[in-house]
Amino acid sequence: MYRKQVRRRRAVLVGLIVGSLILLSAHFSEAESGPLHVIQRGTATVLSPLETVANAALKPARDAVDWFDETWEARGENEDLEEELAATREKLAEAEVAHAENDELRGLLGINKDELAGFGYDPVTARVVARTPSLVNATVGVNAGSGDGVEVDDAVIAADGLVGRVSQVTATSSWVQLITDSRNGVSVTVAEPNGPQGIVSATAGEPEELILEFFSNDDEVSEDQFVVTAGWSDPATGLSSAYPRGIAVGAVTETSTGDVDFQQVTVDPFVDFQELTYVQVLTGGPERPGVDEGETAP
Amino acid sequence: MILTPWINFRLSLIVLVAVLAQLAFFSYFSIFGTAPDVVPVAIAAIGLLGGAVVGAVVGFGAGLLLDVALLETLGVSSLVLLSVGYLAGRYRESFEIDSAFAPAAVTGALSSLAAAGHTAMQLTLGVEAPVSGAVVADAIVRGFLAFLLAYPVYTLIRRSLRSALVLEEATARRPVFRNRRPVQRRRRRMPGSRVRRAAAGEVR
Repeated sequence: MYRKQVRRRRAVLVGLIVGSLILLSAHFSEAESGPLHVIQRGTATVLSPLETVANAALKPARDAVDWFDETWEARGENEDLEEELAATREKLAEAEVAHAENDELRGLLGINKDELAGFGYDPVTARVVARTPSLVNATVGVNAGSGDGVEVDDAVIAADGLVGRVSQVTATSSWVQLITDSRNGVSVTVAEPNGPQGIVSATAGEPEELILEFFSNDDEVSEDQFVVTAGWSDPATGLSSAYPRGIAVGAVTETSTGDVDFQQVTVDPFVDFQELTYVQVLTGGPERPGVDEGETAP
Repeated sequence: MILTPWINFRLSLIVLVAVLAQLAFFSYFSIFGTAPDVVPVAIAAIGLLGGAVVGAVVGFGAGLLLDVALLETLGVSSLVLLSVGYLAGRYRESFEIDSAFAPAAVTGALSSLAAAGHTAMQLTLGVEAPVSGAVVADAIVRGFLAFLLAYPVYTLIRRSLRSALVLEEATARRPVFRNRRPVQRRRRRMPGSRVRRAAAGEVR
């Protein structure tokens, strides 16, 4: 009897492991239009309203936890803030000058959202309804899908700047791969005329900061400089960036000389991904060679 | 565990609630830079209560649901969570759970393994990213958070599956016959005991 139980247990275990591996390899190797992907998207569409309801139902609980957390932090930070206040006053004058320069640079680069509409973008406002728990995959689910005009590789922004790009779409919901996802890379440039260009990406395990690569050691980059999307397009090669030009990404926090020719630059993203509630998906827009044909570029 | 259609329904409901709670609640918080993960905690609890087979099957189903909901590669979470359920069940079948600490400790350890395994699988599936040492720290913190979560989650799941647990049934209910209290067992006097008590001066 006991041996029979052991055999049954082992058979179930082996069967489930083999089933998982078959699913994994079949799903990983098939195209986006494959049957497993279609079934997955169909089921996700059914689950999407449940996620929305759960999100709405649990919002008061989340807010309560946030309130306790913020109150606890506020008590600890009060003394530090008083000390910082004096220093901040001194920096205020400098900040106002920097603000004026910033406005000027934004104007030069045209990162005004109204101007995005001028390029044919049709922003769709969506609410964040789910998040991944994984360390490597930093994605959020939003309640706008193909029915709202959302397509894969559409850029997603928030009030503070770039959030990421759409990675998966169902009829009623989409998943957005954040710029803090280690699989995501964004072509960026320093917000100054003829600023150097590079690719910003996250390191697995360090989602709070972004690493900016491919800046030559000769390029002059200083702390607190803004980094915005490069939005390049090269009709000759048929490739272009998935992101429109001029969307704020973050500010440079650290620069160091890299190994051979490139320096390593750390960027602090403007968007607080932990507090992300509403986003705008930039649907439509001008043709992007390569991207619209399914070839994604950073 | 006695599996009836009603218990299977309850198990499915527990999995659905755990996945939705993870996506819509726990993933929003960052404690020591890590979001708590309630799904492996629930699966470990089910494995600890139901055994290896139940744990593995429920873990597989929960992983599948998670991968479908997140539109991730199917099979990754299934493989990780079925391992969690199976190992938790094997612990239950091999050792006696005689304290509240044991389930929490097992859940914490298995959640750490699950976090590390999940990250490792994703990295092997072509995530071309430099890996920071924080991945190890993340697995440890997740284990600690799972240890803390295990106390309420294990208690809740045990209560909801109480009617299916053989041992719980035996200890939870006292025998009652036709609305009468169970008959008090009459103390039987051993032969010769009166003589021994008299010799000891207890009987006068």
